[in-house]
Amino acid sequence: MHPELPNQVARPAEVTPVVAFHDVSKWYGNVIGINKLTLTVRAGVTGLLGPNGAGKSTLLQLATGQLKPSQGAVRVRGQSVWNNSTLNRRIGLCPEQDAFYEWMTGWDFVHTCARLSGLARGDARAAAERTVDAVGMTRHKDLAIRGYSKGMRQRIKLAQALVHEPDVLFLDEPLTGTDPVARRDLMDIIQRLGGEGKSVLVSSHVLHEVESLTPSIVLLSRGRLVAEGNVRQIRDLIDEHPHQIVLHAGDYRRLAARLLAFDDVEGIRVLSGEQGVMVETRAPDAFYGRLPTLYLDEGLEIKAVYSDDDNLEAVFKYLVRK
Amino acid sequence: MANATLTTPTARQDVPPMSRASAFWALYALTLRQHVHGKRWLVMALLFLLPVGLAVIVRWTAPNVPPEALEFTLAMMFVPQALLPIVALLYASGIVHDEQEEQTITYLLLRPIPKWAIYTIKLLAVMTTTAVLVAVFTVLTYLAIYVGTQVPAGEVAARSLKTASIQVLAVITYCSVFGLMSLLTKRVLIVGILYTAIVESLLANLPFSIRWITVIYYTRLIAYRTMSFTVPRFNGGSQDIAADAWQLDTASDPGLAEHPQLVTCIAVLVLTSLVCTAIAGWLCMQREFHVKTPEKE
Repeated sequence: MHPELPNQVARPAEVTPVVAFHDVSKWYGNVIGINKLTLTVRAGVTGLLGPNGAGKSTLLQLATGQLKPSQGAVRVRGQSVWNNSTLNRRIGLCPEQDAFYEWMTGWDFVHTCARLSGLARGDARAAAERTVDAVGMTRHKDLAIRGYSKGMRQRIKLAQALVHEPDVLFLDEPLTGTDPVARRDLMDIIQRLGGEGKSVLVSSHVLHEVESLTPSIVLLSRGRLVAEGNVRQIRDLIDEHPHQIVLHAGDYRRLAARLLAFDDVEGIRVLSGEQGVMVETRAPDAFYGRLPTLYLDEGLEIKAVYSDDDNLEAVFKYLVRK
Repeated sequence: MANATLTTPTARQDVPPMSRASAFWALYALTLRQHVHGKRWLVMALLFLLPVGLAVIVRWTAPNVPPEALEFTLAMMFVPQALLPIVALLYASGIVHDEQEEQTITYLLLRPIPKWAIYTIKLLAVMTTTAVLVAVFTVLTYLAIYVGTQVPAGEVAARSLKTASIQVLAVITYCSVFGLMSLLTKRVLIVGILYTAIVESLLANLPFSIRWITVIYYTRLIAYRTMSFTVPRFNGGSQDIAADAWQLDTASDPGLAEHPQLVTCIAVLVLTSLVCTAIAGWLCMQREFHVKTPEKE
């Protein structure tokens, strides 16, 4: 059930794990969220991959002390996380749910989160300014969050996770629903955070996203650890299956026509109801790389991009069988 | 947005100092701001305008009604029996539930604030909001009852202040009770209304010891022991309308020796608040506060 991939990333054995799960299970009544998970996450960026319902959010909620393990122990920086609010000074979470105090402005929200983290008024103001700028929201910081686009909301959500300068970051599907520009920006930020020595655990159900961020991944399926190690091994498996990508755009029919010209696009389906198109490709890297130019060169504004997890699901099924 | 300059925060050697007191104050201020931004206070204000409106209507249509009788009916019967439990229930039931429902509780749980403190601070903010509402509208009610009457302004001011203080104490106690209730049941509104109807209305009006378990009993006793509710009869003489309405047997027990004294009444209400808050805080420490993540949905 837990095939260690042969090309596992070399990690120094002496380094204390940043996050450690020891034989952790989490049940919601009769439903298993996490099943006997033993896992250590070390410094740097680590990708947490799994299809919807795999238990990624449960794992992150356990790691941030929001949930109490039904069995086993979860430690961050060597400390138990359940009911350990002091540890929250070192932890940041960008949650998956798209929820805010909608009446606040972006700056107000980040500033409030800084104050809630215990920063004094002046420090909180400075931290909010710095963080809002870091996520590229300075221009929009004085607008009410209720008027933000999905990409802006994701940026502000990331800012609240960073504002108190945590050294351990948990990002739950931070790129979901973002436009290509926001996606690229957010990925840059995450990579830089890893480069600055912070420990970042990023969850996603899209392999391509995680692959762009880190070679180090953890695969979850149905609450179980399926594999951990180097992304390349998973990549090879996934490329055996066509990659399905959904794009939403106002002018989706023109977008469909334009995408058909790409050699690596094997199939395309217009989703009139969703004002989008579904593309099948075996070269997702190249495909994603071309998206920003569609906007910059041809003014095709893409509102959202997401990848169906069918392909990943297929790989998980393969790994679980293995 | 597309041209936004991106720089991650520089890795700082000196992380700014963080204090729990700052975090607690920020949570208190945030909760008060949530109350102001919600529409709940508008609904509450409209409800509290009812006694003000009733006072104006009664004075307009029945000018012979003594203002003391009108004061007793509105400020001592209608408000404590009907409005105080409702305002406390509507605010206290949302202490945790609103944040969970709106999925914003995650932003609080991720801060260096223990869960018991999250509850207690939000309860304090609820107490502040309800106390301000009660105090402001009590004074307005007294103005509507007494402006233009022969009763000296100083006396009206003193009575309105006493009434406001008593009602603030009552609403604070109700907030603690309903706050605890909200952690014990998901149907707190139904349970709270049943509690108000059965315990605080039915039982409190029975002339038996069972009323000692109600908040309103102690509230009435505090009022009775600190204020006079004697009004002139139309046919001469005077009448203690509070003793009659509240089933206090002043004929055989003029000093109400069989009932708790003033200090005991205040202590019971304060202790009830403290005990309910402590139990609720302890429950919060044991509890997970689930939010609906897209994955769960």
